[in-house]
Parts: sequence; C-alpha cells; structure tokens
Amino acid sequence: MFKKIIGAVSVLVLLTTVPSYAATGDPKRIISLSPSATEDLFAIGAGLQVIAVDDLSNYPTSAPITKLSAFTPNVEAIAAYQPDLVVLNANATKAQDIQSALEKLKIKVFVEHAPNTLADAYSEITALGTATGNLSKAQMVISEMKLKISKIIATAKRHKPLYIFHELDNTLYSATSTTFIGHVYADFKLVNIADKAAKADDAGYPQLQSEYIIKTNPQVIFLSDAQDGVTPAAVAKRAGWSGISAVKKHQIVALPKDIPSRWGPRLVDFYQSIATAIGSAN
Amino acid sequence: MLVKKRGKQELRSIWDWRITAVAAFLLVIIGLLGISFGPINLAFDQIFKTILGLPNGLTEQERSVLIDLRLPRVLLAALVGGALATSGAVYQTVFRNPLADPYLLGAASGAGLGATIAITNAHGNLYGLLPVFAFCGAILAVLVGFFISGKFFAEPNSLLLSGIAVGSFATAIQTYLQQRHSASLRPVYSWILGELTAASWRVVAWSSIYIFIALAILFAISKQLDGLALTDEEAYSLGVNPNQIRVIAVIAATLATATAVAASGLIGFVGIVVPHLVRGVSHRVTNRALPTIALVGAGFLVLADLGARTLLSPAELPIGVITAFVGAPFFLVVLRRKRLVNQ
Repeated sequence: MFKKIIGAVSVLVLLTTVPSYAATGDPKRIISLSPSATEDLFAIGAGLQVIAVDDLSNYPTSAPITKLSAFTPNVEAIAAYQPDLVVLNANATKAQDIQSALEKLKIKVFVEHAPNTLADAYSEITALGTATGNLSKAQMVISEMKLKISKIIATAKRHKPLYIFHELDNTLYSATSTTFIGHVYADFKLVNIADKAAKADDAGYPQLQSEYIIKTNPQVIFLSDAQDGVTPAAVAKRAGWSGISAVKKHQIVALPKDIPSRWGPRLVDFYQSIATAIGSAN
Repeated sequence: MLVKKRGKQELRSIWDWRITAVAAFLLVIIGLLGISFGPINLAFDQIFKTILGLPNGLTEQERSVLIDLRLPRVLLAALVGGALATSGAVYQTVFRNPLADPYLLGAASGAGLGATIAITNAHGNLYGLLPVFAFCGAILAVLVGFFISGKFFAEPNSLLLSGIAVGSFATAIQTYLQQRHSASLRPVYSWILGELTAASWRVVAWSSIYIFIALAILFAISKQLDGLALTDEEAYSLGVNPNQIRVIAVIAATLATATAVAASGLIGFVGIVVPHLVRGVSHRVTNRALPTIALVGAGFLVLADLGARTLLSPAELPIGVITAFVGAPFFLVVLRRKRLVNQ
C-alpha cells in the first residue's frame, strides 16, 4: 500500500514538473552519442539542454536526431555544434582519443560504459542527473522504474523452472546470464539455455547450435531479432524445430524494436514483455 | 592387347589410383563420424537401423536431428571442401603459383560485398537472398577482372593483378557498408569466418548441381591441365591450346568457388593446404590427382566441421578458425618434408 502511494505521488510529480531551466554552470548544449543515454536524458528532464543526438537515437521522437555517428564519432563534426557536454560510449571507435581531443577543445565528456546489471543502468541515470543538473528528477525516474519492475517480477512469479532461449540473430547467437540481457531473465528466475555455452565467449554472447536448442527444448523463445525481420512463423519452420515446446505451444515472442538493447527507462517495457510471455506460458 | 596394357602401366606411373581409393575410404569413415557426433550423440547401429527401416532405431527427435540437420551439414561440408580444394589445385596450375588459392581472383571480396549488401539492406528482407548475392558478387568480381585484364589469359599474371585490384575495390565498398551499418557487424563477421550453420537440404541441392558440373569439367580436362606446366609453345606442339584450357579451367573453378562461398561463407586455407598435402604425400604433381584432391578436401572439411560443432559444444566455433589452425601447421610440415626431398 505504502509503495503504491509513493508510486502514485511520483507519477503525479512527474506529470506536473515544469521543465526547469538548468542552473548556471550546468551544461546547456549537450550532444548524446548513445541511444540509451538519449532516452535517459529526456526522461530526467534534460531534454531541453540536448542540441544533437546520434543517428541511432530514435527515441523519444522529439530528440534532435542528426547524422553524427555514435559508433565512429568524428571530433570536428561534434565540435561544429559547439557543445558543452558530450556523452560518449566507452565502446565507440577510439573512444579515449576522441575524449582527449574533445577535452582539448574545452568540451566536457561524459563516458558511458555499457551496464552489466540493472544497478549499473540506474547509476548511469544518477550520474547523468548529476552531470546535467537534474539529479532529483533522475532519482525520481529511478525509484519509479524500481517500483514498476519489482511489481512486474512479483506478478510473474512461478514455481516450476521455465527454460528460455533469447535469440540475438538468426545464426543463433544468444546471451548468457552474465550479460545485461541475461540478468533481466535471471530476475524472473528463468533457466537460460545459453548458460551451458558460457565458456565459448567471455563477453557472454555464444553462438548456439541448432541441435542443442532442439535437445534442451526451451519453453519460450524470445526474438530480439524480430526487428531484423525474423518472425515466429519463420522460426517454427526451421529444420527440426517443430518438436520444440515453444514452437508447439506457440510461445515464440517477438520482442519490440530496440527495447532489449537499451538500458534506459524503457527497460520497464522489456520486463513487461517477458512477464506477459511467462504469463501465457503457464 | 599389348598397347592397352602398356597404356595402363603408364597411367599408373602418372597417378596411382589406389591413393584415390584410400581417400574415398577415409571420407566415408570421417562422414560417419560427422553424422554420429554432436550435442545429441547418435549411435552408429541405431543410425543404420533407422536408415534400413529396422526396429529399435532412433527416436523421433533423433531422427529429425539426423535427417534435417546432420546429413545436410555433413554433405554440404563435403561439397564445399571438395569444391575449394579442387579449385585451389586448378588455380595453382593455371597461374603456375603454389600460393594461388580459390579466392585469388577477387571471388572472395566480390562474394563478401554481395553478402554484406544482403545483410545490411535497410529493410532486412534480403537476408534470405544472401547466397544469391554472394554468388553473383563472386562471379561479377572475377568477370570484371577478366575483362579489365584485356588480353584474357595470354598473360596469367595480368589477370592475377587485375583480380587483386578488383578484389581491393570490392573490399573497400564492403568495409564502407559495414561501417555505415554497425548493427550488422556480427552477422557480416561470422559470414566472413565461414559457417555451415545454414546447411539445409535446399542448400545442398542447389550447391551440389553447380559443384558437380564444375568438378566434372575440371576432371575432364585434367590431362590438358598438365600441359600448362610446359611453356605455351611446347603445349601447342602437344596439341593443347593453353589459352582455351586456361579459360575453361578458370571459369569452372570460379563456378565451384562461388557456389561454395555462397553456401558457406569464406572458409579459408582448404584450397591451399589440401592440394599441397595430396601432392606432397603422393610425390606427384599431375592434375590426375584432382578427384583425389576433391575427396581429401571433402574429408578435411567434414572433419573441421566436426571440430567446429564439438570443441565448444553446445556453442559453435567458426569453421574457418579450425581449417587455418589445423591446416597451417600441417601444411608447414608437408612443405618442410618436400624441401628436404628436393635437396
């Protein structure tokens, strides 16, 4: 009950907060070169401070999308916007060189590391809040996410183990429980069939064999490659897959576009997709 | 009668067909191993019972694994291995260069560009056409090199150089596309490393048609290919038209290579290591060895694929890693032995 009240209050506060212009000293010309950071920035009320985002930052639709590349950032193209803060992903090509080049131009750089856990994702939101002068709003976003996610997990509780396969692409790459995506499934206490192949890839993304998937017989298949055109019908038609439980019981879930690869506030939607799938698998 | 007998004896001194028989036998054994082992192990006796329709065979699920997954994969590995090894041997003969491999004339870069176009296509609906794109890319790249070199085959070296230039050009476009679509890096990467995971009866069916046609042509001209070892004048005096043979050989070898690449990506080293292995072990350089080279290539790739499926099981290891990792040291041993013999 108490949690519900907090939830309701925080939603109300979120709805009524007037976009407050940042205090002096806070960055006013932000460039985000990370789709997840863009979602974070707009959710924590820093949207008006953002002047440009990279070509893959397609959410929210109000984000000022440009041709800037997050994958291969170009210092001159970034500097042309005269930003005072640049959010850069640590995995971008030559990220360290780009960072020092920007800092030489007196541009602040926020280096974002891909998170490994939900806690990492929350701390990025907090850090972005601190860096942009929106800390209190950032904390509200986090507490709201925490509340919703714990609720979703609680409603999707089950007693028997449920075997799942998370498909990254149609060559059967998957994600183990040590990855960020894997942690989300682990939160639901699902059995991730990719874990047996953990030793094949230190980063936690092994390529599974078709036969192994047939043998382990997953009960739900999650397609994060649905956005690349893979459909449940196509999966059901794969050679030898007709006997898999998820295929027989039509438990192949096409995950919404981009959601499983972003670690912003829309993570709640990812949890909800999984919960819905588990619910119908029961 | 006497003439016929002598002809046989001569042929035996050129090529000993018992070596071919041993290679065929090894291929059968390796093929059986390939069918039997995997994440789901299938017992030999049960496989035979199932094939012969006897009771106590495989379960329904095991049957499906055997027929839908294992058999097409082992057959595809054999087809691709045979195609790459034979084309490698033919290219080495045509270009008189021991380092020639099936990807020399830009076939690999062309196929790579075709595959990347299919993968990075914005709508994602071209993925199913990847083999067609890769095949056309390989053929086109070789054709362009062919026409640019102008003099066709009078000078194999000019064809070789224009092939390399066309290849670099295709690679440049491919790299650009890849860079522009960073999300497709992994599929492109795993395609470049070569993979037999997409094996299915459909792939086996269409690739076997092209590969068998190409190999039949190459086997048929194997005698004339030996004439290319001579100078062109000497070859003419023996009744061999070297240019004609070179054109036929390169077209057929390119057809085989393009098909193999379209079906399985860029599997490296088979085309170099297998011909040298067979020639090194048999101490013969004749192209009568082509069928044997095809059989050994087939066996080599089936074995490599068995490794790809079992070493990191239940994960998959790119087969190109195994062919080079196992092939290169093996190749060096053969090379060293050959050098010692030559001294």
